[in-house]
Amino acid sequence: MNMDWVEFGLSAAKAFAVVMFAMNVAVLLTWADRRQGAMIQDRVGPNRAVAWIPTKVAQALAVLPALGVAAALPAYVKLRGAELTGSAEVGAALAVSQLAIFWVWMTALVIAGRVARRGVRNSFDAFLAGLGDPRRIFYFGIGAHAVSLALGAYYRGTETGDALTSVGLYGGAAVFAFAVLFGAGYAAYSIRNEPRIGLRLVGLLHPAADGLKTLFKEDFIPPRADRLLHSLAPLIAFFPALVVLAVVPFGDTLCFGVDESGSIQLTELMPVVPATGVCTEGAVPLGVLDLNVGVLYFFALAGTGIVGAALAGWASDNKFSLLGGLRAASQMVSYEVTMGLTLIGAFMIYGTLQVDDMIRWQAENAWGIFVQPFAFVMFFAAAVAESKRIPFDLPEGESEIVAGYFTEYSGMKFAMFFFSEYIAVVTSSALIAAVFLGGWHLPFVNRAGIEIAIGETVFFSQQLPHLLVVLLGVVGFVGKTILLCWLQLTIRWTLPRFRYDQLMKLGWRKLLPASLVNILATGLLVLLVQNADPRVEKALGTAGDLTMALVAIAGLFAFVRLVLFLLEPTTKRRLLATSTAQFAAAMGGTPTSRMQA
Amino acid sequence: MSDSTLPLGPRKIVGKPVPRPKRGPGVQTYLPEIAKGLAITMRHFFRNTKEMALGQRNDPSLEAIEDGVNTVSYPEQRRPYPYRFRGVHRLTHREDGSPRCVACLCCSTACPSQCIYIEAGEYPEGDPRRGYERFPKRFVIDELRCVFCGFCVEACPCDAIRMDTGMHAAPYDSRDQFIYERDLLMGFPGRDGTYTTQNPRHEPGDPTHPGIDRDHPH
Repeated sequence: MNMDWVEFGLSAAKAFAVVMFAMNVAVLLTWADRRQGAMIQDRVGPNRAVAWIPTKVAQALAVLPALGVAAALPAYVKLRGAELTGSAEVGAALAVSQLAIFWVWMTALVIAGRVARRGVRNSFDAFLAGLGDPRRIFYFGIGAHAVSLALGAYYRGTETGDALTSVGLYGGAAVFAFAVLFGAGYAAYSIRNEPRIGLRLVGLLHPAADGLKTLFKEDFIPPRADRLLHSLAPLIAFFPALVVLAVVPFGDTLCFGVDESGSIQLTELMPVVPATGVCTEGAVPLGVLDLNVGVLYFFALAGTGIVGAALAGWASDNKFSLLGGLRAASQMVSYEVTMGLTLIGAFMIYGTLQVDDMIRWQAENAWGIFVQPFAFVMFFAAAVAESKRIPFDLPEGESEIVAGYFTEYSGMKFAMFFFSEYIAVVTSSALIAAVFLGGWHLPFVNRAGIEIAIGETVFFSQQLPHLLVVLLGVVGFVGKTILLCWLQLTIRWTLPRFRYDQLMKLGWRKLLPASLVNILATGLLVLLVQNADPRVEKALGTAGDLTMALVAIAGLFAFVRLVLFLLEPTTKRRLLATSTAQFAAAMGGTPTSRMQA
Repeated sequence: MSDSTLPLGPRKIVGKPVPRPKRGPGVQTYLPEIAKGLAITMRHFFRNTKEMALGQRNDPSLEAIEDGVNTVSYPEQRRPYPYRFRGVHRLTHREDGSPRCVACLCCSTACPSQCIYIEAGEYPEGDPRRGYERFPKRFVIDELRCVFCGFCVEACPCDAIRMDTGMHAAPYDSRDQFIYERDLLMGFPGRDGTYTTQNPRHEPGDPTHPGIDRDHPH
């Protein structure tokens, strides 16, 4: 394998990015777990620490990036606008004008929210307050999006359309620059009389403090424990959790130009690539490893984590540790089987073990959750069990066996077990996102750009720059992963712990036969489809496009619902039955003062 | 022995057969119930996160009947104490700013924890109050000994000591800081912000005075 320096550097950069992604999301998850637990249990949660910023610095932080952004986009449009022609110009106009509309209503909404809370202070506040319910601003914004899109589609290709394109491109850039500057300027202006600005850290310092603390804590090894194995176990548990993400690509393949000798020119990124197929030369896949065994590597290394837990239990010279280690080993082995078997149905349909090709199949047909819904549910359950978290946290059941296999661990070694659990959440979420939720694929976005098509009918088609498409994909993949992580945290805060025999029964007597049935049914279906009429295949293709439409509509609906939920006015009932409440009402609410220290 | 009256041998078990609850596929797979539970968890999560982020959380004293985050973020946020709360003592003032206390020692006598020390002083010769009442030269309360029973307030015949400041003693770091002297006790206002009380006080020489004085004993 001859690998030149460019490729070596790229691989190192990708490996670094993946490891950093897993570790940072895991740290954020430890924070989100606490934060979310507080919110679910109606508590305030970690909320004390405030970073104080001098007002001038805060104003600069608001205005300077805004100045940069406001200068950059119009400058880009001015410089490159003349070069853009035809479809590319329409695409740029579309992106810029929609961005401008989005930014205008978003800025108006944020300011209206502030005004509703602190009262009208100037004429602009009065204007916003005069609009009434802030939800009207949102409806107006949605309307503006719809109208601009409809106009663009209606006049496409005509002279009016060309004029609209110029208006969208240049006017959109100007409006965007104005909205960004206005929002930042308004924020800077409205805080001018504050002595200092407090930034609530909502507990974000807590994971950092925990990390430092574990580094400095005593590293205790029981006197009769096996010193070597006791120290080795956390490494064996931690390392595989970190490296399994190597086979999961986090973005679509980037295509670069090549020079005469065939080596990659990093400065020559392809402007636009064809919708299907991947470039043969100058391809940079955004995954660390492109192994042909693909997912098997994931399972092989994830299986190694079992050894870590079992060793920790064995080497600690403690009966609780030993019990915990046994439980961990048997539980992980049991669910490893289910995890592997549930994916076999997916392999049969995708016809590959490589995660990259699985995502390509999903991009062309339908997401895995629609072709293998039962496998998705079973794999999700097995993945939660595999990460040894609630409701499957028997190996560390504190009411029964203290802390299970890491009872005798302290300091950083304990933190490695703790942390590998969270990394396992991230990696399993990433794998589920890749195998069942289309990975970096977003509905109706292909390698060339956006194409909204159902069956043969093309409703909308627009080329986008290659880099933008790939970046959208990376953002989509990260978003899906974080969403699945969040779902796992929510499950952790909802379900009570199973009993150990129930856990084993669920694994061996429910999930395992069900996954076998799933394999059988999938095999029959695949055979049927392969031998069926071409019309059936065409109908299935249309059905796949419909699932894409379903995902897109569900996503849009969720976004609109979220904004409306945030804008919903709250009405609270007051009860002045007690003298405390009467005193508080006389003071205008429970007196609140800033912390002195 | 009541057992000896029962016949020997195994007793007949009297019980009501309880049928096993019906477990349909929804219960067996456990999935619909998980979905319901997740929905509840998410509802709490979204609502509370929104209210915390947008500053709409419940006021813990006024809106405590609403669902949501009702925690008092003490000490940044403090609920007012209720009306009848017995807080730090105060010595009420007369109209001229002197203490109402006549140093009769009723309060220190009533005090179960013996935390009140009064040193009585006589008014100077010629003062209209001389001979009728004395005044506290020193009035000391050890707030750390006090059990906040309120007996001193009950015992006081002239409404001179009250516990209606609505404050608790500040947490100091040494014991002698809890010894509250007369001037400090006179420095606390009541909850209404005044240093006097609503009870009228009739000084000798006032037109409202009932008339018993040194010259008119009956």
